[in-house]
Amino acid sequence: MLKSMKSMVDRLSPTLPMVAIGAVTLLLVVVGVGARHSAPRAQQAAAASPASAPAEGGNAPEGTYREIDWQALLPKGWDPLAPFRGMRLQRMQDGDPRAQEALFKAREYWKTAPTEPGMDGARVRIPGYVVSLDAEGDQLREFLLVPYFGACIHVPPPPSNQIIHVLASRPLPGLRTMDPVWVSGVLRVERAETMMGDAGYAMHDARLERYQER
Amino acid sequence: MTLSGMAMRSAWNRRHNLLLMVLAIALSTALLLGVERIRQQVRAGFSQAVSGTDLVVGARGSPLQLMLYTVFRLGGATNNMGWDSARRIASHPLVAWSIPISLGDSHRGFPVLATSQDYFRYFRYGERHPLEMEQGRTFAGLFDTVLGAEVARRLQYKLGDRIVLTHGDVAGPMAAQFQHADKPFVVTGILAPTGTPVDRTVHISLEAMEAIHLDWQAGVPIPGMSIPPELVKKFDLTPKSITGLLVGLKLRSRVFALQREIAEDSREPLMAVLPGVALDELWEMVSVGEKGMLLMSALVVAVGLAGLVSSILAALGERRRELAILRAVGARPIDLLMLLAAEGCCLMLAGTIAGYLLLTALSAALAPWLQARLGVALAATWPQSGDLPLLGAIVVAGALASLLPGWRAYRLSLGDGLTPNT
Repeated sequence: MLKSMKSMVDRLSPTLPMVAIGAVTLLLVVVGVGARHSAPRAQQAAAASPASAPAEGGNAPEGTYREIDWQALLPKGWDPLAPFRGMRLQRMQDGDPRAQEALFKAREYWKTAPTEPGMDGARVRIPGYVVSLDAEGDQLREFLLVPYFGACIHVPPPPSNQIIHVLASRPLPGLRTMDPVWVSGVLRVERAETMMGDAGYAMHDARLERYQER
Repeated sequence: MTLSGMAMRSAWNRRHNLLLMVLAIALSTALLLGVERIRQQVRAGFSQAVSGTDLVVGARGSPLQLMLYTVFRLGGATNNMGWDSARRIASHPLVAWSIPISLGDSHRGFPVLATSQDYFRYFRYGERHPLEMEQGRTFAGLFDTVLGAEVARRLQYKLGDRIVLTHGDVAGPMAAQFQHADKPFVVTGILAPTGTPVDRTVHISLEAMEAIHLDWQAGVPIPGMSIPPELVKKFDLTPKSITGLLVGLKLRSRVFALQREIAEDSREPLMAVLPGVALDELWEMVSVGEKGMLLMSALVVAVGLAGLVSSILAALGERRRELAILRAVGARPIDLLMLLAAEGCCLMLAGTIAGYLLLTALSAALAPWLQARLGVALAATWPQSGDLPLLGAIVVAGALASLLPGWRAYRLSLGDGLTPNT
């Protein structure tokens, strides 16, 4: 009887251990895939570099984007500091009524800041800070891009031609208000039906990349 | 009979012990997965409730408190804003629509929200879904009410039922004197489920809110004065103050300018909150607690693993004879290592799957309570992409941990040779 058992053992393919190890390997693969999809904050976003990004563009058209800075969004000849011309701001105290009045005038001036029509339809890449509008849980879908930190808290808000309304083609998980981000897409000038002809910049189907220190 | 067949029979022999181990792992898996899932669902539920609203305007105070109260009906009011300011903001050139909201009363634990027809026209949730009526219609008469899906389901109301509202959040034995019993409301509409706090809200019109408080003052009915419902229409029912205003803009990028204008209005101390930014601040604040809970759950899983490993190790002594017999029929020491490692792996797999099923059952059981309490839907679904790394980590940890008894068996069988010293 020992001989028949021995021959059986000889014939064995160690099924159970192999099955278990195979299952663990499969799960490791699944974990790897799952971890890449629900990428935690820092590491995976670096992989979405411009070189590999065109493959994951979603609806955004392929091609190169011109990197611009925020000055390009100002129309030629429109000076953001025009309300402060001729004032000696550094000589005034914080609570000086002239300073307050100047600030008030500046804000009114910036509220109706005109857009640069030449930027309509431009394919650009621009960095900025995020102000959340709409999110699905952890994934930010729609936000405003502003040029400086804290644009909504204590300092005056940026002029209307320095804000971009961004709708992401694929939401970036873990993006919060005041995170720096690179945004690439086609810039549009959108008009609202107000009597003053208000217009602002917008970008639909934008591609997002986390801002990395270089 | 193969090696694995013998292993399975051996396991069957020790089934009571193994069952307890599987249970321990199942519970810890369910805990870890559950914590992560609740976190995700609460975030998703909260952010769903505010999509499409650009600004929430109310009396100056804490932005978070205003958001939590007007949008999620959690907490209490501190101050109201005037109706004049609401009208002024509504007619601002940048504003596309505005929805006035007034809170304060309740009905059997569910909050009552007074609003205008604009609520049903302009309110959006989730991916820009508008509100849909499942049955009936919105307000037409003065004392009409529209129920959220959860309210109708839980209290089993149908169209045409009459309900009585309670002043404030009072419940229990004292509630009777705070009821607006002389002015009952008729259910004229029931909304479709939304997965947001709308489901657990009772909606009435702003005029009706004024009407039921006509003969009240400072929170109690004026003694000796009672205005019957037929006569209320003779009074001016324009609201004087509201809790908050939901605002939608024509151009979303102008939100800062309007926010500043509202905050610096010299006629009334107001504030305008960007819902997305306020929610981000909320998550920042609770993130420490979330990480703490995740860490605790991971430790519970580690405890379950330690139990598994120590159980197998402890049983090894009794199994020396069994291992010796296996050696005698030709199994090599490495086979014994793989056998025990595989046994540990299989137990981990079984425990993880059982834990996942347990979590699904618990989700199904708790979902109605969570929906009624917070307005958050806890879906019992297939593993989400967020669950998979956790599940994988648990199984991998178990696989690594079960190498220990395997190695122990390897050493034992080498040392014992074919004659165990038992």
